Amino acid sequence: MARARRTSPPGRGVVGPVPRPMSKLVDESTTRAVRVSPQLGMGSCDAGHPVTTGTARGAVVSVQQVSKRHGNVPALRDVNFEVASGEVVAVTGRSGSGKSTLLSLIGGLDQPDSGTVLIDGRPVWTSRASARSRRELIGFVFQAHLLIPTLSARDNVAVPLIGAGVGRRARHARALQLLEEVGLADRAVHVPAELSGGERQRVAVARALVLEPRLLLADEPTGALDTETSTRVLDLLLAARERRGMTAIIVSYDAEVRTRADRLLTLRDGQLDDSETAPLALP
Amino acid sequence: MIGLIVSNLLRRPGRTLLTALGVAVGVATIVALLALTQGLRNTAAGLVHLGGGDLGVFQSNVSDPTASVLPASLVGRLADKPYVARATPLVLLVSAVSQDPAAIVFGAQTNGFFAQRLIIESGQPLRTGAVVVGDRLAAELHVHPGSRLAVDQHPLVVTGIYHSGVLFEDQGAVTDLATAQAINGHAAEETDVVVQLAPGTSLSAARADITRNFPGTQAIADADDAARSGANNVLISKAILAIVVIALIVGGIGVTNTASFSVLERRSEFGLLAAVGWSSLRVALLVLGEGIGTSLLGAMLGLIIGVAGSALLVQALGIGGYISPSITAWALGEGLLVGVAIGVFGGIYPAWRVTRMRPARALARG
Repeated sequence: MARARRTSPPGRGVVGPVPRPMSKLVDESTTRAVRVSPQLGMGSCDAGHPVTTGTARGAVVSVQQVSKRHGNVPALRDVNFEVASGEVVAVTGRSGSGKSTLLSLIGGLDQPDSGTVLIDGRPVWTSRASARSRRELIGFVFQAHLLIPTLSARDNVAVPLIGAGVGRRARHARALQLLEEVGLADRAVHVPAELSGGERQRVAVARALVLEPRLLLADEPTGALDTETSTRVLDLLLAARERRGMTAIIVSYDAEVRTRADRLLTLRDGQLDDSETAPLALP
Repeated sequence: MIGLIVSNLLRRPGRTLLTALGVAVGVATIVALLALTQGLRNTAAGLVHLGGGDLGVFQSNVSDPTASVLPASLVGRLADKPYVARATPLVLLVSAVSQDPAAIVFGAQTNGFFAQRLIIESGQPLRTGAVVVGDRLAAELHVHPGSRLAVDQHPLVVTGIYHSGVLFEDQGAVTDLATAQAINGHAAEETDVVVQLAPGTSLSAARADITRNFPGTQAIADADDAARSGANNVLISKAILAIVVIALIVGGIGVTNTASFSVLERRSEFGLLAAVGWSSLRVALLVLGEGIGTSLLGAMLGLIIGVAGSALLVQALGIGGYISPSITAWALGEGLLVGVAIGVFGGIYPAWRVTRMRPARALARG
């Protein structure tokens, strides 16, 4: 199967490690009414797969001089990059290179020792605002699906809605809607132990999308799946992202993820490897 | 949220049940002791107004009013007081009727107002060396005028069946004072003196005067007085307080321990909840809710065990003959309150711990 390499579409703001003024990024993300999205699907771009359109509601991410240590071990050092609205960025690097730490900092799950992470121009980590930011802006997919074992698929999908204070009936309706989208409507009442690995990850994808986030953060979403299941989950994830026009940052070793992303960021010993941090170009 | 709390508690049913049982033991003990206290109060209330008296004079600092011992001379000195209209001594024999240990046999002067107040339904009034039986006890034991009733293994002839309208009296029997003293083995002693006050006399003034002029005695005018005066009651009240404190500490530690383990086991889950936008407060409330849920379950079990166990407790303490445990809404409410308090008390620390977790670390360690 041919490896797809693409340029980012015009106006996607593919930028290198050097930050741009946030006002420009914000303007860019908010003024585009319709965005031309990259083609999705294995090798489909080469065959002239029709482009899809989505609403321009992806978030703009700006990582500015971010450093983080775990004890005495530096996890990230002066990491500096931006992601434009609607862009799909793959983050790769060897084990321990700081990929998951970077994702945690972008998602407001941890506080950088220095530097700032901005989403749509607002710092994502402030003690009071981070939970709200996560709820309103960010959807997470983890390698370990992290489903609550005693809850049904439907109730697992609805968990973020509890945090958002959505009523029971509306929660159930919304969760079923998402399960339908990921093709698991008939498995709604099953608990995770009754689902396959791929089905669990699809439930996790539905959970990540249930609050219609503007930024999708995925940490090795296909890492625990076989190739076929991995492709299906990735298709699902990217198609859902596409429909919503979300920005996505995906940490992955999976070559297919890197192939299908707009841009690849490589981390080496906690630093961005500039030589490998470039837009993917179509042949 | 409540559904999630219930589902989390069911995740480890054995652990939840064992923790709840720990709480249940404390709550059950509290409920049983409160039932016992109320039973004592009911007993005391019945004893105070025996024979239609305004107040009863008992020995002070006794374990309960039936354990009072007064000198026979006291009734005469009391009768001399201007505010006393009439006074009559009583001897109380508890657990003296083997067929019904709850029945009390009263020793009363045949010409005193206590005995004269009894309405004879059949047979003859009380006479020396005989016994008259309350209609409820007579019906229970199938006795009638002419038959015999063994009082502390002393067979006495039943001369009549009476009705007084006072439960204690109708569920008991009355013999003459000398016979009761002989059975009791204390010829010149009485249990209490029932006093009727002169018209227009202030109850509190009379009570204060008796206490002042007759050292070693106490005048009891109502059930609250009786409850306060009986050493058993005071002891039980203190025991309840101690058990409440112990239950709060031990139960709270149990809930803290269980909830802390649960938090440690489910770090990644709490990390996930933070990742999907749950506020720290909401996650803390989830943990606190699980603690309260466990202790509520324990409280419910404790109420059931306490109600069932209170009857066994009076038997175990050997006081079943004259004290019936009485379950009140207050006792149940207090048990439930203690249960909830244990949950809140025990859940605070793990709830606080979970708010201190960095989501990223929780996810990484999960």
